[in-house]
Amino acid sequence: MAESGVIGRWVSAPGAHDIVTGKARYCPDLDFPGILSGKLLYSPHARARIRHLDVSAARKIPGVFAVLTHADIPGENSYLYAEPDQPLLVVDEIRFQGDAVVAVAAIDEQTADAALRAIQVEYQALDGIFDPLGAMQAGSDQVVAGKDNILMHKTYRTGDVEAALASADVIVENTYSTQWAEHAFLETEGGVSLVDEDGVVTVYSSCQAPHRDRMQVARALGLPESRVRVITPYIGGAFGGKDEAHVQIHAALLAHATHRPVRLIRGRKESILTHVKRHPFIVHCITAATSEGRLLAVKARAIADAGPYSNATHEVLNKFGEFIGGPYTVQNLEVEKIAVRTNNPITGAFRGFGAPQAAFVYESQMDELARKLGMDPLEIRLLNGVDTGTRMYTGVVVREGKAMKASLSKAAEMIGWEQRRKLERRPAPHLRRGWGMATILKGSGMGRGLPDHAGVLLEMHRDGSVVLQSGAADMGQGIVTVLAQLAAESLGVDMSSVHVARADTARAPDAGASCASRQVMVSGNAVLRAAVPIRNSLLQVAAEKTGIGKDHLSLRGGRLHVDGEPHDFSVADLAKRALFRGYPLHAEGRYELEYPTDAAEPTYRYSQEIFQFCTQIAQVLVDCETGQVKVERLIAVHDAGKMINPGGVFGQIEGGVAQGIGYALTEELRVKEGHTLNASLENYVIPMALDIPELEMDVLEMPEPLGTPLGAKGIAESPIIPTAPAIRNAIFDAIGKPLHQLPMTAERVLAALDAP
Amino acid sequence: MTEMDIRLTVNGKLQHVKAESIRTLLSILREDIGLTGTKDGCSSGDCGACVVMMNEQVVNSCMVLAPQADGSRVITVEGLARNGELHPLQRAFGETWAFQCGFCTPGMLISCYALLLSNDNPSRDEILTAIAGNFCRCTGYQGVVNAVQQAAAELRAGSAGEDVQHG
Repeated sequence: MAESGVIGRWVSAPGAHDIVTGKARYCPDLDFPGILSGKLLYSPHARARIRHLDVSAARKIPGVFAVLTHADIPGENSYLYAEPDQPLLVVDEIRFQGDAVVAVAAIDEQTADAALRAIQVEYQALDGIFDPLGAMQAGSDQVVAGKDNILMHKTYRTGDVEAALASADVIVENTYSTQWAEHAFLETEGGVSLVDEDGVVTVYSSCQAPHRDRMQVARALGLPESRVRVITPYIGGAFGGKDEAHVQIHAALLAHATHRPVRLIRGRKESILTHVKRHPFIVHCITAATSEGRLLAVKARAIADAGPYSNATHEVLNKFGEFIGGPYTVQNLEVEKIAVRTNNPITGAFRGFGAPQAAFVYESQMDELARKLGMDPLEIRLLNGVDTGTRMYTGVVVREGKAMKASLSKAAEMIGWEQRRKLERRPAPHLRRGWGMATILKGSGMGRGLPDHAGVLLEMHRDGSVVLQSGAADMGQGIVTVLAQLAAESLGVDMSSVHVARADTARAPDAGASCASRQVMVSGNAVLRAAVPIRNSLLQVAAEKTGIGKDHLSLRGGRLHVDGEPHDFSVADLAKRALFRGYPLHAEGRYELEYPTDAAEPTYRYSQEIFQFCTQIAQVLVDCETGQVKVERLIAVHDAGKMINPGGVFGQIEGGVAQGIGYALTEELRVKEGHTLNASLENYVIPMALDIPELEMDVLEMPEPLGTPLGAKGIAESPIIPTAPAIRNAIFDAIGKPLHQLPMTAERVLAALDAP
Repeated sequence: MTEMDIRLTVNGKLQHVKAESIRTLLSILREDIGLTGTKDGCSSGDCGACVVMMNEQVVNSCMVLAPQADGSRVITVEGLARNGELHPLQRAFGETWAFQCGFCTPGMLISCYALLLSNDNPSRDEILTAIAGNFCRCTGYQGVVNAVQQAAAELRAGSAGEDVQHG
């Protein structure tokens, strides 16, 4: 598209003023007359049978308006968008620490707490199933009676792996394990619900997918979706953790039961205990190469702990398998994906969606391979890297792949890869310095074969102001800013003239979830399409008024331009005139990501075909006495396709790397017999301001042919993915011993140093 | 539980509330005074979303009990703009993308505001130390460092360099 104003420029977010003045209202800030406090009762056991449940005493407490059990749910007592197998309120068996049993609504928090205390539940504790390897064995006790503990078991094969292994000169074989990780969005999950004057159940939801929430709320209430409305207020972060529904459904149940507004906000501990975590994986991986370093084969077997319910487990494992070969030209690949039900925490979507676990494995393997071959880590990656036109092990033909090698070269240049050894590798007797890189790919969009579309409504008023209705949730990632920029650019007005309404299912078309780094492509392109008829109306009026051909006219900065020169007419003048003449100044724009059929169909099902390539390089200092790792430098070079809002892009990279450093070094939920031992922000250790080096970033722009006309790829997920393997490889370089487990805590580094 | 009379000055305005002694300053600000700009991220003093200034000190307001707040002077995020005009720090936060979701911003702004009261030209390390207790999960801290240095330069350059603390 033609560029004149705000695309690619640093602009402030439309919500910036509200945020810096404290006016931005998130779920916990919403207030309505007569609002009640909602709370949920959880089981103290990770696995138990409910023998008796008595809520009569709680119901008698003055100020208690509702005490709901499973029997009080008007619709279906199950949720999850793909396979609804998690109860909203447990009927008879507790299957993990976060299963809710009773929902209450009371006049204030203390009264709600009193109601929870007055509920009598007699539990019969059961022996839990906590070891996924044991749970896989035939004859194991079943987590969900009548259902196999193996939730998923699929194998993908391409090429001839066994023949390739037999002919290989070098083989690297390791077993890796990764941890349960916590999103720790700063605003915990919440919902505020009320029944409006028309009897519509309205839910303010801290979520990533308002239209999907509407479907789930309606199903639980037994109402048609037309009687449910979901609105997103400001949302305090999500990172995949609010992709699935949570307490907004319970808030709606309570509001529906009491006919009063209800606010239900999870406490921090409750949040950590109840929502999905990043899946812990155990991965056995064999990587084979020729003596020149050419990759011949990858063979991997992954076992993931799913917890008791399905959540996004199928999809996460599918993505893991899709990326386990890395951004490399390997043609022989076998990946076995197994997910096992346990009574451990539930697991699901978290930024990267299986790709971080895969990258930790394949990039660690690459460095061990390079070590065995006496090759430089940069050299082996450049030798095997994909490029535009490469047919990958998934069958996907890479349409735009220059960024794979370009990001490697740029990152190497930025850190001074060739000269790195000039720096002291042993600055003190107990200190070791090392350098490590990781280069990855992550797809954007839902993947071929899955619905991937969005609609928006765009309208210009007689004063030239514009309102955009989009169903895309902005959890902080910045889609509202991007859509405002695109609307302003397309209609030739200033950003301040564009109001992007909060996502509201009663007003905006479905945009699907804000996930898979997709909204900039689908909603962004939908805005461009919606703007076309509006711009045409304005230019039509302008041509009529001026007698100048439309080809000479354009709109910029709120003003008509003739052959690039400003004209007396403002956009507002044209809007007023257009509406007077009855020309439409409102339009729906729809965009669907459509995959061309000329290329061969990928052999890997639901493959993503738009790739966020990137490279990160870490320089670390390891203290061999304490095991502590200091990240001294971190280089991040990412391809954004086309950068709409640099502030948002750089922010996403920096935030992703910060999360990646935590994933690499400190973040780990410690779970014992189904109970999380460190469910607080004090004991779940996240890097803070003093723990993160000043990042050195660069953004490449290799426009994506599929996401036309915009060319943007989305940048949300890739930044977290290479960080952990880059740091791991830097530690390997520093101490000469490989680590195969995340996080790489001081204890594990010391253990690696002591290893033979 | 007994209710106490609590008097405190918030953003220059005297407030009189009745609150049980186990109530926190955070809940008084949000629920009794209606200032919901200050956020509750953990209720345990770990995240810094609830940071306010109390008697010239930066505090986690979720860790301050009602009797401790009695007689105090408090500045919250709502008190940074004057006569509708944003403090240079607030403007800079928007311009440098010092936030994404914005939930940490009120506490982050107060920590930085307090720093600028005592240091008109803070280094990167001094800024990071000042916000060491403010957790941002979205976008890290580089934008905050840039914002504080931009605002500090503006304050030094203008007459507003003599920033008078109110409250």
